[in-house]
Amino acid sequence: MKHAILLLSLFLPAAGADPPPLAIRNARVVTVSGPILKKATVVVKDGLIAAVGENVDVPEDAWVIEGQGLTVYPGLIDALSNWGIPEAAAPAAAPAGGRTSTTPRPAPSATPDPSAPPPARGPEDRPSNTSWQRAADLVKPTDRRLEAARSAGFTTAVSFPMTGIFAGQGAVINLAGEKAQQMVVASPVGQYLAFPAGFGFGGGGGFPGSLMGVFAYIRQMNIDADYYRQTRLEYEKRPAGARRPEYDRASEGWLESPRILLPATRAMEIDRVLRLAAELKKPAVVYGAHEGYKAADLLKKAGAPVLVSLNWPERSRDADPDQPESLRVLELRDKAPSTPAALAKAGVKFAFYTDKIERPRDALRAVRRAIDAGLSVDDAVRALTLAAAEIYGVAGQIGSIEAGKIANLLVTSGDLFQEKTQVKFVLIDGVKFEPAPETPPAEEVAR
Amino acid sequence: MRTLAWVLACALPLAAADNSLLIRGATVHTVSGADIAGGSVLVVDGKIAEVGVKVAAPKGVRIVDAKGLHVYPGLIDSGTQMGLAEVGSVRETSDVSEIGDFNPQLRAIIAINPASEHIPVARANGITSVVSTPAGGVLSGQAALVHLDGWTWEEMEIRRSAAMVLHFPFIETGGGRRSSESRRNVPFPEAKRIYDKKLADLRGFFESARRYRQAKLAALAGFRTDVKFEAMIPVLEGKLPVAIVAERERTIREALQFAEKEKIRMILAEPREAGKLASEIKARNVPVILGPTLAAPLNEDDPYDAAYTLPAELDRAGVKFALGTFANAFSRNLPYNAAQAVAYGLPHEAGLKAITLNAAEIWGVGDQYGSIDKGKWADLMVTDGDPLEVRTQVKQVFIHGREIGLDNKHLRLYQQHTKRP
Amino acid sequence: MKTPLILSLALAMAAFAAPPVVIQNARVLTVTKGAFQGSVLIRDGKIVEAGEKVMVPPGATIIDAAGQYLMPGIIDAHTHIASESTNESSISVSSMARIEDAINPEDISIYRALAGGVTTAHVLHGSANSIGGTTAVFKMRWSKDAAGLVFEGARPGLKFALGENPKRSGSGASPSRTTPRYPATRMGIEDVIRQAFVEAKQYQQAWRDYQAKVKGGVQATPPRSDLKLEPIVEVLEGKRMTHVHAYRADEILMMLRLAEELGFKIHSFEHGLEGYKVAKEIVAHGAGVTTFSDWWAYKMEAIDAIPYNAALMMRKGVLVSLNSDDLNANLSTRLNTEAAKTMKYGGLNETEALALITINPARQLEIDKRVGSIEPGKDADLVIYDKHPLSSFARVQKVFIDGEMYFDRDRDVSGRAERELRKKALTDRQKEREKEQKKSFPTRRPS
Repeated sequence: MKHAILLLSLFLPAAGADPPPLAIRNARVVTVSGPILKKATVVVKDGLIAAVGENVDVPEDAWVIEGQGLTVYPGLIDALSNWGIPEAAAPAAAPAGGRTSTTPRPAPSATPDPSAPPPARGPEDRPSNTSWQRAADLVKPTDRRLEAARSAGFTTAVSFPMTGIFAGQGAVINLAGEKAQQMVVASPVGQYLAFPAGFGFGGGGGFPGSLMGVFAYIRQMNIDADYYRQTRLEYEKRPAGARRPEYDRASEGWLESPRILLPATRAMEIDRVLRLAAELKKPAVVYGAHEGYKAADLLKKAGAPVLVSLNWPERSRDADPDQPESLRVLELRDKAPSTPAALAKAGVKFAFYTDKIERPRDALRAVRRAIDAGLSVDDAVRALTLAAAEIYGVAGQIGSIEAGKIANLLVTSGDLFQEKTQVKFVLIDGVKFEPAPETPPAEEVAR
Repeated sequence: MRTLAWVLACALPLAAADNSLLIRGATVHTVSGADIAGGSVLVVDGKIAEVGVKVAAPKGVRIVDAKGLHVYPGLIDSGTQMGLAEVGSVRETSDVSEIGDFNPQLRAIIAINPASEHIPVARANGITSVVSTPAGGVLSGQAALVHLDGWTWEEMEIRRSAAMVLHFPFIETGGGRRSSESRRNVPFPEAKRIYDKKLADLRGFFESARRYRQAKLAALAGFRTDVKFEAMIPVLEGKLPVAIVAERERTIREALQFAEKEKIRMILAEPREAGKLASEIKARNVPVILGPTLAAPLNEDDPYDAAYTLPAELDRAGVKFALGTFANAFSRNLPYNAAQAVAYGLPHEAGLKAITLNAAEIWGVGDQYGSIDKGKWADLMVTDGDPLEVRTQVKQVFIHGREIGLDNKHLRLYQQHTKRP
Repeated sequence: MKTPLILSLALAMAAFAAPPVVIQNARVLTVTKGAFQGSVLIRDGKIVEAGEKVMVPPGATIIDAAGQYLMPGIIDAHTHIASESTNESSISVSSMARIEDAINPEDISIYRALAGGVTTAHVLHGSANSIGGTTAVFKMRWSKDAAGLVFEGARPGLKFALGENPKRSGSGASPSRTTPRYPATRMGIEDVIRQAFVEAKQYQQAWRDYQAKVKGGVQATPPRSDLKLEPIVEVLEGKRMTHVHAYRADEILMMLRLAEELGFKIHSFEHGLEGYKVAKEIVAHGAGVTTFSDWWAYKMEAIDAIPYNAALMMRKGVLVSLNSDDLNANLSTRLNTEAAKTMKYGGLNETEALALITINPARQLEIDKRVGSIEPGKDADLVIYDKHPLSSFARVQKVFIDGEMYFDRDRDVSGRAERELRKKALTDRQKEREKEQKKSFPTRRPS
């Protein structure tokens, strides 16, 4: 660890000073945005891609890397992540402002525990809502997971706060930087929504306690935010003589979300969230999507992009070996990796995300399963790079090897999805990082 | 035949007693043998004295004209908490589950409330006796076979100890099914450890009981009475069967092995996945008490009729079984559980046996109950049709030859409120 | 909202293309028009003709039902199948919760209900709240998506609940609840419902005032849309039906009087186990009751439940139906014999008994123009039984919805072996994957 940091500091730009240009010569270049260049040169300058092509001049002061036998890819993007947010657990959901209801609060018949927050009485209490929270403000370059991610070829992540129903605003971040500010590529890029409620049979918590409640809450939040925006506008036009609308950070957060991310694993859940998104009239991205192989047409019709989890469903190691498993579950496990191919075939835009896979390298192994299930290698690379950038509207900056884009590059010893292929180094904002030796996670060691 | 009846009739001048009668003109469904059209059943002193086409009436005997009607043995519900539980959601009305894992000394019989409203309700549909079972812990206690008639539980008693009830331990990982979704999911290795410990405890308990018995037999010095082990002696000596509750295939298999190893007389109770092990159950001659046929399947992929076809599956394998409702409020629907099995492939006579003769035999009173045969107790019902058909009305019920009124709370409320202007 | 329309259109078109169907030689139990030996002609999903002699159009699919019985599809007026949420139990008025949000079209219970002859079901959430949420009517079109299940044009409902369930959360009986929830008594339940309606009326008035101002050309700010109050306003405006979970006579009477006071109609009491005690009052209000055949004693408020309830209420003029109240399909697979119990207890005749599960629930849900009996012009929702459906030994053979066969016992039985094979293959593949997983993720030693 110490070594890595020391090494890093060698290459990290001092404030204001840019590193010298860098050129990778005679490498195979997978541009993603264009054709694969069999023997080309990529020139990086000022943290950007200065030039790419078969006949490109290498600046004289450039640090030249001989790329013979190497392949250059755009840096990989984890399209839904919390990398960079070390304490991925967001602050506890507390009732926030923005109460507009006149519901009389029924008097409790017993003395409640004074230390417990009062259970939410409805959407107006904004439970499990930190929609205003920005990943960009939470990112820290000290997150220990960044190095492992870089070592596996990832240069970028779209990171989100992930606690609660309205978890907060995501940011596209580069996975290295001296200061947090340097990491952020774009923010906010979307609101992360989750449906954490249980079955809702007599539970003790506040609102919402069921899937129905969560949906009702999201719907009301959307209405409230819109109402909030309108009343604010009206007030700003004519403040004199009017009552000041209460400030509502939950509405603020919702309003500034350019898109919403909705969870859905099964086809019927995809159908369900697409209907909700249509109702909300918000651009939506579906995440999870393991049964997307059944819902490709549906997604195509809705025009919703998809983030496919690479954490393919498998039987838990702790499962009872004799537990009868349903055909539905067995089929889902068998076919989930065919989702990317099905989406590609239907013309649905999709990107991959690592979804709690412990070792980032294993994410690439998971992609291989999708390739085995019919996904083309080109589409696989795209889903790890440009597609994610397009989904979040940052394709002008990252995701492919084009002159003018941010110099986020991955250089490997060969085809990305071959088991024996090694990550040689990555460039992030033009800064070179070499992979750390792979160490198994503690749990693996113990077994 | 006729002569014998005549002789009997002359020999027994007890005709005026309220437990003697002659039912005649009915179709008699003996269960043990062929149906007798236009048949009669003579009951003397509560016992069946004669069954046949022509049975002469002893002088002064009460005659029940059952022309166009049917006589069946009273029905036996092999699984209830009759008298032990009254209102499902009210804990104070339940005496089913005691605290602790090993309570073989507990006896259901002494906790049966003869005034339970469930008793007359079940009786009105021809249920004349039930097995009332405790359900707590592992060794739950002793189930009782009782009549649904009597001023006291003593008067209700048929067998105060019909079986020892053992809820066989199983590996509980939780999760999976809707009802338990909120429960914590236990990883398999941990659940297995808990199960292994429970099973070891169970084996240990049997082993200790066995040693206790030997010490008692040998009159060893310092021998001290232990109430729990004392209750185990009839089990160890094979005098008392053990009703082992096991639902899933793995549990059933382990329960069968356990019974063999411990050399106990086993009755398999409430199995849901017994079909897969039917031949094994048959090979060991283990009788089965099936839970309600009128039930949803256990697993998502099970055929929709899985619970309906289980009795037929066991029947084809030659397994002897009886049915229980395991819900007091639905004890009256016992015949419809048999009917559903018949609809899905069980021969009609096998369905009827599962709620009469088979039950009596499994509970050790096959020589006294369960069919209409000379010498057996006259637990009878008179109906206007097949009792397996929902539409059939039960006209009269007799227990030990005495007619039991069909009045019950439901009928009373019905009559009362029909009259509301 | 657009999807169901498109889907129903597509369905209608598919049906249009399908050849007519004639079910021949059956004992036809129409429920409303007597019984006869004859045939039913189906075209475009509708019953065109039913009679002793029906002309067979050229190209018609013929189904010979000799020796069998044909009856209208069963309508289950109260069930919880196909739903992934039971209760939004956090608050006493959760009318913003919508059952449509939690519909799972892949719930195996739909198929099982179908196997029991159920073609239409009213799906409700649980009864934890004084005012619970919205309900909806579905057809058991197994294999269709959530929108494809919707009973087109059926009026939506709002569910209320009285008695033990809604007051349980206030009683301290629920150990997981930190703060007891008002109400804890039947008195409190009336209070909660009244207050909600008072609030809804104020809300309704606020909107009326706003609309009047806008009409009059006066600048005005609209009220905030409140998804909790809107369904209640719809009840007041007669746009939404009301279904009231109630057991005891006192609470039934309370609700009748409260509804009369507040100015809305109660369409049905759900369960209404003591309905027989206040049949006169229920009839005077014009409410229906959907109840059980013979459930009793499972809780205190079911202590006076009697199996004569349905028959007694029917004789006194109440519109009565029987329902399953299923969570997993259990009773829904055999509502026919549940109906037969009313012949045993209370002496209904065959037609009356069948009406309890066909035309009566259709009338209660106001869908009787479409379903509930075998009449020309109605949807071809039909069930073929091998024996009289009121016999304990009857088995459903085939079920049609909109003229399409959705269940066929022969097909079900013959498909079982193949299903097992498929499952075996998938299980083997899973084992294979698990083996490979172990190979490619070998246990590593710490370096």
